[in-house]
Amino acid sequence: MSTPTGFDELIHPATRLSVVALLAATEWADFAFVRDSLSLSDSALSKQLHTLGEAGYLELRKEGGGRKRRTTVRLTDHGRAAFEGHVAALRAIVESAGPPPATGVAQPSTTEARQRQHGHAEAAR
Amino acid sequence: MSTPVNAEQAWRDLQRIRVPQERVLDEAERSASGGPAAAYGTAALMWVFLAGLGLDLPRWGVWLAIAAYVALLGALAAGHHRRSRMRLHRTRCTWRMSAAFAAGGVAIAGVTLLSGGLVEPLGPPAAGLVQATVSTAAFLLFVGPAGRWATGSLRGDGEAATRQVAGR
Repeated sequence: MSTPTGFDELIHPATRLSVVALLAATEWADFAFVRDSLSLSDSALSKQLHTLGEAGYLELRKEGGGRKRRTTVRLTDHGRAAFEGHVAALRAIVESAGPPPATGVAQPSTTEARQRQHGHAEAAR
Repeated sequence: MSTPVNAEQAWRDLQRIRVPQERVLDEAERSASGGPAAAYGTAALMWVFLAGLGLDLPRWGVWLAIAAYVALLGALAAGHHRRSRMRLHRTRCTWRMSAAFAAGGVAIAGVTLLSGGLVEPLGPPAAGLVQATVSTAAFLLFVGPAGRWATGSLRGDGEAATRQVAGR
């Protein structure tokens, strides 16, 4: 079986997938908001953002000065297209395997999903 | 080249996408409903502006008041932007958000014009004060429920969009 078109190895790792998924729902997001939402450390998030930024998937912008200085992150059109392509590829993989598995994974509650995500984020540190 | 993930792992990845996107919706709801300061600030500016217009100002005074009102509203919006932690992507915005904004403008303008006509016999400055108070009260009564109505649809439509992205 061949890799579906659009599958993106750069986005595929779980932490990066979460970062890009969060940014895809926003025009821009504050660095601290992304960090807190994904339960990542500053250094872990910086590393992922640097990797994605080097690939041209996102832009970092520093605003303000002194104590009010903050960093905002924005997904570029290239990054957004890559994310949509990757999601389409994941869907193609699932659809090629037939109906979705009838397990608890199929319809996780928000709480379950958050707990799983939190655990995953911890593991990614 | 072989597929780097199997179907079950791909399914988990699709579900994983939903979690951070729900955090974004949480934040959008929180920022829409969590800040009475912005509503009271806008209402206070509105009251001062309308009460000022009711003082029977000369033409240059009216233009000056409008310029000051727009500048202060802009400053208020800039302050809100600085405090925001993120902005929802335009594809996530729902028709209800636009409808609430448009309906708010029409309703407040309608109340202002109607109250202006009704209190005209009182003459300045009483007419301006009554008109400003009534219009500001209408704004404050409208802004809370309209905001909740608009952001309430955000979660439903946003989750539907997320499910669509995740292939549900």
